[in-house]
Amino acid sequence: MINKLLVANRGEIAIRIIRSAQELGIKTVAIYEETDRFALHIMKADEAVCIGPGPRKDYLDIDRIIHAAKETGADAVHPGYGFLSENPNFPTKCREAGLIFVGPPSDIIWNMGSKVIARKIMQSVGVPLIPGTENLPPGNDGEQKAVEFAEQHGFPIMIKAVSGGGGRGIRVVNSMEELLKGLKLARSEARISFGNEDIYLEKGINRPRHVEVQILADNSGNVIHMGTRDCSIQRRHQKLIEIAPSALPPLVEENICEAAVRAAKAAGYVNAGTVEFLVDEENNFYFLEVNTRIQVEHTVTEMVTGIDIVREQLLIAAGETLSFKQEDISIRGCAIELRINAEDPKQGFIPCPGLIEVYQSPGGHGIRLDGAVYQGYEIPRFYDSLIVKLTVYGFNWQEAVDRLRRALDGFNIVGVKTTIPFYKAIVEEEDFKKRRFDTSYIDSHPELLSYKEKEEEIDKLAKLIAEINAHGYNPHTL
Amino acid sequence: MLRGKTAKEVLDFVRDYKGYLLTNNERDVSQSDFKGRIMPWTTLRAAAHRDSAGYFAFEISGGASVHVDLMKKQVNPFEKLRLVRKAMPNTLIQAGCRSHNLFGYRPYPEDVIRKVIASFSEYVDVWRVYDFLNHIPNMKTVGEEALKAGKILIPSLCFGTGPEHSNEFYLEKANEIVDTFGKDIIIGIKNHSALGSPEKIASLVEAIKTDFPDIPIAYHGHNTDGNDLARMVAAIRAGAKIVEVSDHGFGAWYSQAPALSLIQVLEDYGYEPLGLNVKEIIKTSEIIRQERRYYAKFESPFRGVDPLVRAHRLTGGAVSMAYEQAEKLGLLPRINEIFEELAMVIKELGNIWPVTPGSQILWSTAVSNILYGRYEQPSDDLKRLLLGKYGPFPFYDPPEWIYQKVLEHKRTDGKKWYDIIRTEGGLRSTSSEKMSDKKREFETELGREASDEEFVLFLLFPRDTVNFIKFVDRYGKTWHLPPSVWFHEGRFEDGTRITFSDDKGKLHCIDIVSTQIAENSVKTSCLVDYHFKTYTVPVDTKVRTLRNG
Repeated sequence: MINKLLVANRGEIAIRIIRSAQELGIKTVAIYEETDRFALHIMKADEAVCIGPGPRKDYLDIDRIIHAAKETGADAVHPGYGFLSENPNFPTKCREAGLIFVGPPSDIIWNMGSKVIARKIMQSVGVPLIPGTENLPPGNDGEQKAVEFAEQHGFPIMIKAVSGGGGRGIRVVNSMEELLKGLKLARSEARISFGNEDIYLEKGINRPRHVEVQILADNSGNVIHMGTRDCSIQRRHQKLIEIAPSALPPLVEENICEAAVRAAKAAGYVNAGTVEFLVDEENNFYFLEVNTRIQVEHTVTEMVTGIDIVREQLLIAAGETLSFKQEDISIRGCAIELRINAEDPKQGFIPCPGLIEVYQSPGGHGIRLDGAVYQGYEIPRFYDSLIVKLTVYGFNWQEAVDRLRRALDGFNIVGVKTTIPFYKAIVEEEDFKKRRFDTSYIDSHPELLSYKEKEEEIDKLAKLIAEINAHGYNPHTL
Repeated sequence: MLRGKTAKEVLDFVRDYKGYLLTNNERDVSQSDFKGRIMPWTTLRAAAHRDSAGYFAFEISGGASVHVDLMKKQVNPFEKLRLVRKAMPNTLIQAGCRSHNLFGYRPYPEDVIRKVIASFSEYVDVWRVYDFLNHIPNMKTVGEEALKAGKILIPSLCFGTGPEHSNEFYLEKANEIVDTFGKDIIIGIKNHSALGSPEKIASLVEAIKTDFPDIPIAYHGHNTDGNDLARMVAAIRAGAKIVEVSDHGFGAWYSQAPALSLIQVLEDYGYEPLGLNVKEIIKTSEIIRQERRYYAKFESPFRGVDPLVRAHRLTGGAVSMAYEQAEKLGLLPRINEIFEELAMVIKELGNIWPVTPGSQILWSTAVSNILYGRYEQPSDDLKRLLLGKYGPFPFYDPPEWIYQKVLEHKRTDGKKWYDIIRTEGGLRSTSSEKMSDKKREFETELGREASDEEFVLFLLFPRDTVNFIKFVDRYGKTWHLPPSVWFHEGRFEDGTRITFSDDKGKLHCIDIVSTQIAENSVKTSCLVDYHFKTYTVPVDTKVRTLRNG
């Protein structure tokens, strides 16, 4: 059993993990950088340790984090998502320090992190793959192989960095000329971004849906799935809205989940993970990648299954076997999750850090908030701009959308620009309401950015009162 | 309860009515005594009592109010009418109109006049129309549209005194009115300058009544000289059916005399206040008395009746404006000199009626004559008057030397005044740009489609309407705020609580938490419906020294 857990992360996911740990009676330790000293997760944990001046670099410093765990007497570390969560050295170093790492072992992270190895493993158990190449050698050989691949499968083609992920390190090309030019650029970008210039090719799929399967695997070889999530609504390969379950036909849903379990077993997977697929217009699905960590969007799966994934992660890490079987999992209703960020959608979603002068949130049936801020908190410019993750649950799609609209209307955030008006525009958009979307949704609906920012009438009047107060008279009566 | 009846039914009711009827003219009280600033807040607070008081009508629109609503009160004149109609479901709603000058100061094109009257007729039951030159053709389009909309029309004779202002003259005008609009109207006497003795008014009422026994007569007077109570009594005793009154709670000087005073005097003459609820009239004033202090700063610098009106003859609204303007120009000590000049100007300019827009032309001419020499700096509107753009002079034309001085002023083409009149003079149908072009211009400026009501306001006052709409976009419907806030002076004390209801009846609350003064800005922290918010307003450095209060 774990007695004290150090959460090697910040913001909403740190709080999310702390909550499950506290429910299990596990003491929690938060870490923070000096530049992040007012963050909410520090207040939620039982203890907190400053691991350095920051910004960003100390949250990536394995030695400092392990030192903090040892200093505070923690016996386990949860990496959350981002930062060190998919760094294979982290579990190794934890193990060496006598700490439980809440996640899969290093070799699995390593294998799944390598797109080429992951594809090989999937291929070995018959999980459908998007036609693709192995690592392309640099120079003329690589170019020759790329040309041959293009001639065989046609365009579009995706040039991918072996070490990329989360939408990073991907370049789409539509002609031979673009391909040859793109190979050089992609290789150079990969070297700069990931420290590894290896690249490979994949056939591009037109207007695919992004569907992923949540899996749980214990140390005894039990692997179950918790259904699908549709994460097709993306902007520049970054997920914006996630939905559980996906709306695939039942047989396809069954097949994709079975394929995910097969993939996890083949990989020897342990703990919680996500197997991602692309689904084409004919409902053919292709393996994309495995994410070896808890994901931002795990909340939608929790809403439709009732299972606390982080709690299960902690129990698995503590050596327990899964307490339920596949047949115990049932999917009920529909859940939608979105990230409310301090960003200005009209300015290319540029982050807008700043002081949150007012923070009022919605509530009521079917609304879950995983927040990272409080009224009076100044969102630092050094980290992501997430304010709160909103997850709504409805008995069906219609109810979930109606609830999402109501929840968005229930926010009152003053001080920073947010993505709320953009989401409100989506909720009112006909294709979304009819559940018709794929990964091209945002690009094909540019009108979503033409929303009007609505100011409450009472705020307008308060603004006038402030003017009267400032001037000592009402300048509009003269 | 006359609301909902047809114009004919209302007219039959008035004709057959055994008692006298009162119209409460808050619009004129606001305009004549408070520079038009009475806010909907006050009107609505008193509405239920006024509606139960048994008034024939309630005048709340027209005159200068449409312009002042937009410019100084930030109230949509149409919305105000909707609010008042809803709050006073039993009482007819009345508007005053300056014939082809509508609610403005210059003649409007015919298509604009028709559109404006048709739009306002959605909410106006009674149209009281006058022309400052008593040129009846100027009323024609307005009256036609009002009648077409099924409304009650009160074409009014601007009343004055002097050798030319005989009963015969007014009867001739009354005949012209009847020839133009027929007999299903009410003939109005508009004694805007509080002139004439009770006997004079009574004799005019009797004269009209003799010639037109089936047409009811309405008397609208001002109490500038303090004698209008007597004139109203005389008018009623002579057979006028409707007179216009104020609420004593306003303590007005230059507008109408109070309803209650009239009722009490008439009782002594044996007139029972049929259909009038005196208790409600008293309750109205109890409310209004509490509100009056908010508007005190808009009252004339000289308060009290002004018997000098017999000489200067300014209409009620122009009297307080005249005092204020004289004060601003540093001419208050010379006010009697200006008034003497004004009396002379009126005489020289054809003994016309100093009521809008004539009052502005005559007053500014008198002031200019005092400041710069007689007719040395004539205004454009004076030139228009001499050119006959507002209509012909009713009695006689001004002397030639005035024509020469005014019309030839700053002319570079060497044209003589008689040639100018011949080529440029006369009442001409002012050219109207195409409505669709105007609307396009308006919508381009707004950056969105305009509603029909917005467009009507734009046709009346283009620049002020655009500014008003922009104001509402930025600040919302500020008339929801109490006058104590809207007219607040000084800073709000920490802990001040401001409460008000919105359109939907929801109560709101803004608590001032603190005021922080920086070098070039003032930061106000408040709880807006219990949500903490701060607003930083850039200010001139000199306002930093303001004290709370």
